[in-house]
Amino acid sequence: MPVDAEKEITRLWRALHAAQDEIGKTYYRWRQVALESAGPGAKPLDVGLRAAEVFGKEIGKGFLPRLNWLKGEEAFLMNLGRSLADIWGTEGGIAAAEKGAAAGEVTIRCTRDPWPSWAKEYGVPMEEVALCRERMFQAIIEDVSLFFNVPLKIELVKAIPRGQGETVMRLSKAA
Amino acid sequence: MARLLFEWDYSHHPGAQSYPHLFKPIQIGNLSVPNRIKYAATEDNFNTHDGFITDADVAYMRERAKGVVGGLCFMQGVYMDPGRQGQGYVGQAACWDDKFIPGLKRIADAVHAERAVAGFQLMDCGRVGAVDVDYCHGPSAVPQRLRIFKPVQEMTKADIQDVVRQHVDAARRGVAAGFDMMEISGIVGYLISNFISSYTNRRNDEYGGDIRGRMRMVVEIIQGVKKVCGPDVPVGIRLCSEELLDDVRGNTPEESMETYQIAEQAGADYISCTLGWQESIYPVISRDIPMGNWVHLAKRAKQHVKIPIQMAYRLFKPGLPNEKIGAGELDIWEMCRSMIADPLMPKKVLEGRENEVRHCVACNLCLARLFRDAPMTCYINPVCAHESHPEFMDPKPAQDKKRIMVVGAGPAGLECAYMAARRGHEVHVYDRRGVIGGTLNEARNAPYGDDELWTCVEYQQAMCAKYGVQLHLGAEVTEALIQDELPDTVVLASGPVYPQLKAPGGDHPKLVNLLDVMSGRAPVGRKVVVYGNRKPGIGCALHLAKQGKKVTLVGREKSAGFDVNPSFKWRYLIYMRQAGISAYNDCVIEEVNDEGVIVKSYDGYRWPVVCDTVIVSEREANPSLKQVVQSEGIELFVIGDALVPRNLSSAVHDGYRIGMRV
Repeated sequence: MPVDAEKEITRLWRALHAAQDEIGKTYYRWRQVALESAGPGAKPLDVGLRAAEVFGKEIGKGFLPRLNWLKGEEAFLMNLGRSLADIWGTEGGIAAAEKGAAAGEVTIRCTRDPWPSWAKEYGVPMEEVALCRERMFQAIIEDVSLFFNVPLKIELVKAIPRGQGETVMRLSKAA
Repeated sequence: MARLLFEWDYSHHPGAQSYPHLFKPIQIGNLSVPNRIKYAATEDNFNTHDGFITDADVAYMRERAKGVVGGLCFMQGVYMDPGRQGQGYVGQAACWDDKFIPGLKRIADAVHAERAVAGFQLMDCGRVGAVDVDYCHGPSAVPQRLRIFKPVQEMTKADIQDVVRQHVDAARRGVAAGFDMMEISGIVGYLISNFISSYTNRRNDEYGGDIRGRMRMVVEIIQGVKKVCGPDVPVGIRLCSEELLDDVRGNTPEESMETYQIAEQAGADYISCTLGWQESIYPVISRDIPMGNWVHLAKRAKQHVKIPIQMAYRLFKPGLPNEKIGAGELDIWEMCRSMIADPLMPKKVLEGRENEVRHCVACNLCLARLFRDAPMTCYINPVCAHESHPEFMDPKPAQDKKRIMVVGAGPAGLECAYMAARRGHEVHVYDRRGVIGGTLNEARNAPYGDDELWTCVEYQQAMCAKYGVQLHLGAEVTEALIQDELPDTVVLASGPVYPQLKAPGGDHPKLVNLLDVMSGRAPVGRKVVVYGNRKPGIGCALHLAKQGKKVTLVGREKSAGFDVNPSFKWRYLIYMRQAGISAYNDCVIEEVNDEGVIVKSYDGYRWPVVCDTVIVSEREANPSLKQVVQSEGIELFVIGDALVPRNLSSAVHDGYRIGMRV
């Protein structure tokens, strides 16, 4: 029985996108649970930032076995930047790491981000999306810095509400 | 004048002529040791979960003590803190209180009963510890690279002083229990190595900084332990000669050699030269590393210190250590896994029975079990962990002598045959092949050290000859033969069957037999699909990839190498990646056609893979002859892959157990 390539790819593509869509929806459902459990005094942004920190710590653990200092500082930073960009990719975004403007800097540029759309669906402020992304990446970097004994920092340079344009982050060695 | 515990005279033994350097004395501290052989401290998870010694551990150690023929026999490292942060294994022996001394004494006595030197090891597992508590401890709170280990708490200066005191107290208890030699474990990621390494020690106080600062705690421990041990009990230390942590900015080899010199200056009487950490990305002791690969590090260590140097690490056979000791590049031959596989290995070497040694195949199953909180076992030695069970150690002679027909001269059949013959049965082994070894004849051709598996067959061959097993090679067992011979018992060890692919095109000419491919009999095209992602399939895929073929591995298991133990599986996965082998797991071959195959995933996606050759490595149990034997009313056993296709270990263990029972 011959393979109908178009049919197979279409099925696979739909299944992938459905799974990616569930990432954001599941997160915001749990955010709602967390807010209800925390009670009326809880600030949504604080809860979101704390979640980003926990997620970042957990994701960072997966980075440690893969990163390698032997390739030198520049390659190390670029690999780290690519790994961060790949997180966006897994979620259905388009992101890439590139050499930054200054030496020892890597720019992570996300030109398509599904999170603002999910946030809108659940009535979450756009500001929270950008800040949580920054916090999550910072939490990842924390353990990586400690593990390799290299002080690193990551900053949000640009974030456009509603997912238009691009989000830009800068990864570099801390002073 | 050095103290000698037991007199040994090896002069009349053939092994002392073949390997003269292994069987000559050496002085360590004030102790004279009759030979150059050491069973190195190895965890076994046999003790109670609160650290008390069990009968199983005593029996295990006594067997190893017998094996070292007067040499050094070290018990597993003990943890020393009541808070159990230093405990790295659930069944690790403890020594944080005098209440443990009676149990420890049983081990020292067992070793002395075999006239060997009893060694005691102090081991705080540091960042790989805390197996039963929430946090382990270390010089700095450096995150764990491997998720199986607990988060690290940074030690205060008071904690460090506690650890020094715990080592000293435990050493005192070890001496009180009757041990003759003391060893501090500073290797593979345990606490002392954590302090020494620039990777894990980021302290700015006097216990950190440069290599002298990072060695400060070690020096205090050596000096404290020396004091309680006195002049008669030598104190040694196991130290990394290379951490293999350059990817995370660990110590340089030069720094490691400096640690050796500092340890010597602090009073260490010997150094056991080790390498690698559990967190290293480099393999050190798996089968893909050639034997003798690391022995040059012992030579380098000897160039830096004057005290004796000991070393293990892929030195499984006596020739190389004998040569290196003779050349002054090594002083003591250490063994862990080779004496797990055969506790009497050095004794057999001494007695000129080298062909009766059951060699370790470096599969690391023993280690994989320890990290999963299971008691140690051995892939190749069915008796390991059963040393306290007389029915395993010394199976009783058979009450009714039987005539046994073993069908198949593979590892399962041969193992069963010699054990049954040893118990007094008349055993005949038949195989339609003209050679022994069964499918291991082909499996040994897989790359990355699989030829070492053949040592199992060599051992079995020697044992079959010793116990008078009669081999009938080139003789296929048929219904008529069984009816003619009418044996009392038939053991079917005829190996698996390789069934035809049950899919459209399953009889296509591009399908070839796995065994024919591995033996080089079948021609194989440039693009190959290997069906079956267990070990036989992986071995075949790597074998062909090494020949430059483009290989795709397709299999039902969720991950390739489901049947390979985790301590070795990662090596295969890396080799597969390096060789460019595509792996489609959780998939079946839905169809074979002129272009190639159609692969179907577990959830129904389908895609074509172009290939010239398809090799089916999936296996099934072999029921042939079963009915014939049963219809004749003959006692029947089915073992090895003929029962359920598994691996070499299962074949050997099946064979041994049925040999004990029949």
